[in-house]
Amino acid sequence: MGQEKELLDSLLMELRRGTLVLSVLSQMSTAKYGYSLVQSLEEKGISIDPNTLYPLMRRLEKQGLLESQWDTGGSKPRKYYRRTLYGDEIYHELKKQWEQISQGMEKLLKEGEE
Amino acid sequence: MTSKDRELMARYIYQVVRRLSKNQRHEVEMELEELISDMAEQGMGMEEVLAKLGDPKVFARQYQDDRHYLIGPEYYDNYVWLLKIVLLCAGGTILVVSVIETVTQGIVPGSTDAEKFALSIVYGIGSGFVNLAASCISIFGIVTILFALMERGRIRFDRKADKEWKVSDLGSGSGSMKQEWTPGRLTSIPNKKAVISKGDSIIGIMFIVIFCVLLIFVPHFFSLIITSGEEVTMIPVFNLEQWHVILPVFVLSMALALADEVIRLAIGHYCRIVMISNLICGFLQIILAVVILKILPFWNPGFVKKLNMYMGEHAEFLAANLDVNMISNGFLTLIIVITFAEMAVTVYKTMRYGMNK
Repeated sequence: MGQEKELLDSLLMELRRGTLVLSVLSQMSTAKYGYSLVQSLEEKGISIDPNTLYPLMRRLEKQGLLESQWDTGGSKPRKYYRRTLYGDEIYHELKKQWEQISQGMEKLLKEGEE
Repeated sequence: MTSKDRELMARYIYQVVRRLSKNQRHEVEMELEELISDMAEQGMGMEEVLAKLGDPKVFARQYQDDRHYLIGPEYYDNYVWLLKIVLLCAGGTILVVSVIETVTQGIVPGSTDAEKFALSIVYGIGSGFVNLAASCISIFGIVTILFALMERGRIRFDRKADKEWKVSDLGSGSGSMKQEWTPGRLTSIPNKKAVISKGDSIIGIMFIVIFCVLLIFVPHFFSLIITSGEEVTMIPVFNLEQWHVILPVFVLSMALALADEVIRLAIGHYCRIVMISNLICGFLQIILAVVILKILPFWNPGFVKKLNMYMGEHAEFLAANLDVNMISNGFLTLIIVITFAEMAVTVYKTMRYGMNK
């Protein structure tokens, strides 16, 4: 029983991991700080651990898809991220691919039901 | 936020940040402060927040996207394999040598001095352990350095390949035109006949290690043993008085041979790198052999004289015919022939089977 859950968890994690970048990029057309992104994703049913999200955003910044800026005007310093032009380009391409994949997947899964 | 919460937060952040590279630390520290205080402001207690973030070790691992290896996964198995063999070989040799030393020094023919015997056994065990520890540590060091250098070399090679790729991308004129992968890019799987088996390397490596250990710890074992009645005399073949000059050159030569074997082992098939390393190591070894046999005072100069003393008239014939120069030349010829033969085999197999066409 425990083994089954473990396997399911790890498969689920793999499945989610593949969608992470796209989920994050989709939200970054306007500047957001880390925790507000966690919340807005959660509201839409996509839950992501902060300890995955923060390193991921840094990685995306390093790859040139996001840019960041520290805002020190508020009560505490906040780091805001947003998509770069290059990030826009990649995001739209990824989105197109995702739509194809999800159409294909839908067909596959429907077939399985029959 | 209470001061206790602050303290907890600071501790957590420290546990994450200390595992990161220095240039990441400051920024990540600020990020985490922002995150944790945001989460706490949502009404969660500090402990709850930190529990949700999980083990700082795991958190830190997520940040370390580019890992640095001393010896990466590609070479690790071979590294451990080689280390085991070399350590076993050296350890075994030292054990045998120590036992022989202890027995030969402890048993003095005709003497029944038990105390002296016991003392020499204690001494033998003690020096055996010291030798064992010293040689194991240096062997571990040498093998690790060799593999670490290979790891660095490979990484540099990868980076270079990466750069070349980008340059050719730019060369195509338009930025969006990506150089597409074609099956033509596939490099061929090494020909079966080009594969270097571990078994081929193992004999060479064992020979190198055993010979090295003997030369370092008991060069006087290479002696002519003469027994006349109760008396046993050992006449060393090598010039032990100049050994401190000769040994380093010897060890350097052996280290070169070992480096060559390690490269063969790690790469695993004949290819340009294996060939070049074999040629360079081979030539250097020949040069070192010339230095040892022709330039350094390698042979024991008192050998013939001592032989004369113990063997009387029998030795006269030997003394008249024993030409040190001739012996040196003989050894040198042998070494050169063997080395060239090995190089020829390597070049042949590389050219025939090991080149990517």
